[in-house]
Amino acid sequence: MSDLQTDNTFSNYGIYTIKDSLEFTLPNTKIRIERIGEKAFSYTRTNSEDEISEKIIPSKSNEIKIELAPIRPLNHPARRTGYVFLNFDKNIFLSKESAATIFVQCPIEIGLFLVNNSHRDSLDWITCNPEKSRFGLYGPPDSGTLCKYAVVSMAEDMDDSISYVNGILKVELENKLNSGQSINKVIFPITDNSIYYSDSKAIIDGIKVTLRKRAVVSIADVKVDPISTDWIKAPTWEDTTTTKSMEMGLE
Amino acid sequence: MGVEFLQSLAEMQIAGELTALSLLVGGIIMAVGIIIAKIAKLLFNKYYAPTLPKDTAKNFGKIIYFGIIIIAFLTFTSSQGIDFSGLLVAGGIFAIVIGFATQSVVSNLVSGIFLMMEKPAKHGDLIQLPDLSITGTLLDIGTFSSHLRKFDGTVIRVPNEKFFTSNIRSLSSSTVRRAEAMVGISYKDDIEKAISVIKKEIEITMPLVLRIPEPEFRVEELGDSSVIIQVLVWHPREDWSQVQPILLTTIKKALDSSGIEIPFPQRVLWTAKE
Repeated sequence: MSDLQTDNTFSNYGIYTIKDSLEFTLPNTKIRIERIGEKAFSYTRTNSEDEISEKIIPSKSNEIKIELAPIRPLNHPARRTGYVFLNFDKNIFLSKESAATIFVQCPIEIGLFLVNNSHRDSLDWITCNPEKSRFGLYGPPDSGTLCKYAVVSMAEDMDDSISYVNGILKVELENKLNSGQSINKVIFPITDNSIYYSDSKAIIDGIKVTLRKRAVVSIADVKVDPISTDWIKAPTWEDTTTTKSMEMGLE
Repeated sequence: MGVEFLQSLAEMQIAGELTALSLLVGGIIMAVGIIIAKIAKLLFNKYYAPTLPKDTAKNFGKIIYFGIIIIAFLTFTSSQGIDFSGLLVAGGIFAIVIGFATQSVVSNLVSGIFLMMEKPAKHGDLIQLPDLSITGTLLDIGTFSSHLRKFDGTVIRVPNEKFFTSNIRSLSSSTVRRAEAMVGISYKDDIEKAISVIKKEIEITMPLVLRIPEPEFRVEELGDSSVIIQVLVWHPREDWSQVQPILLTTIKKALDSSGIEIPFPQRVLWTAKE
C-alpha cells in the first residue's frame, strides 16, 4: 500500500493523499486530479481514444484521499452480469480421481475510490484492456447465463499477474469421476470473490472445481475458496449478490 | 332532542318501507365501508404491494378496494331488508339489452381478467404485437385496456380484447438477443476475406457483441449484382439499440477499409449486330 503524502507521484495501487495534483498513468488511460479551488478538485480521465470524462470533487478539507484498487471485471462495456466465463487457452486433462491446482490470469478492472475515514465512495472505474473485455453466453440463448468472457492463460504463481490488466486466480480442480476429463473453461459468479493487491499486483479469491456425478449426469461444482493472504483487500465497487456457487455441465 | 329527530326521520317514508332514517343508516354504512376500503388499500400498498409484481399488486389493490365496497353495499341492503327479487326479473332483461350494447366493454373486461391470469408479459417487459405493428415497453394491463410506451416516447392504449387475441412477441424473456444485417459484396471479391474483415471489425469496435456464441456469417443469396452475406450477432438483451443500428455501419467500414466493393445493381446489355 502506498500512503503517499507527496503529490505528483504515482507508482502502485494504494491510497494517495492529494493536496495539489496527481496524475495516474495506466495502460490505455490517463487520470489527472488537480485542485481547482480551496475545497474543490477536478477529476479528468482520458482513454486511448482521447475520450475525456470529467468530474468535480468537492472536499471538506484542503486535501482529498483517493484509493486506486483492482475491482471485479464486471463494468466494461456495461454492467450486465455477475458471472465470469474463463476459457483456458490450453485444455487441462485430469485423470480419474485426481486433483490439481492451477493459477490463471483473470481479467480485472481498476476502481477509484474517494476515501472518507474508513468509508470508500466509488468515484470511477476503468479497464486497461478494453479490447479484451467482452461478453459470452454459457448455455443456450433462451436460458443461458450471460457472463463476462475472456480467454485466459496459465500463470506460474500468485505473483505472475500483468499489472493493472489481470489478477491471479487460483483454481483447485478435483476429478471425482471414474474417467479422465478435459477441462477448458470455468464459469462462476465472481461477485463472491474478493480481490487483494500489493504494489501493482492483484490476486483474487480462488475457486474450487469438483467434477462429480449427480444421478447420471456429470457436472462440475464451482465454489469460492477464499485465500489467506497479507495483501490488502480491495474495496468492493458493486453490490454483491447472494449467488454462492455454480454448476457447469461437462462435455 | 336527538331521539326526536331520529324518530321524525324514521317516520319520514320515501318509498315503500324506505325511510329517511334507513337512508341515513345506509349512507353511514357506505361511508364507513369506503373509509375502510381506502385504509385497507393504503395498508396493502404500503406493506404488501412492494413484495408483489407491479401488475399483481395493482389488481389486488383494486380487488380489496371494490370488494370491501360491495360488502358494505350488501350490508346496507340487507340491513334495510331491500328485496331484489323484483329487480332480478327486470334486471335480467335489462342485462341482456345492456350486454348487447356493451359487448366490446365486456369483452375487454373479460380479456383483461384472462390477461391478468395468463400473464403473457409483465410490467416493464419489452414486447411486440406484430398484428397491430406495435413495439414498446408494457406499462400496465388494466381492467379494460393495456398501455405500452413506444420507442418514440409516446404511450399507446391497446384494448384488452385486441391485446389478448394478438400474437405477443416478448423481446425481454431471454438473456440475449440477436441482431441481423445483410450486405452484398461484388462477385470478384473473396467471400472468406470479406467475412474475416467484418468479423475482426465487429470484435474490435462492437464491445457489446458476444464472443460466445460467435458472430455467424451465411452466404444468403447469389444475387443479380452481388453475393449477399447475412451477418448474425448476439448481444445482451438490453443493448439492442447499441448494436442493431450500428451493425451495418461497422460492416461497411470494414469492407471499405479493406477495399471490398459493395456493388450497386448492374445490368449488362448485349446488343445483336445487324
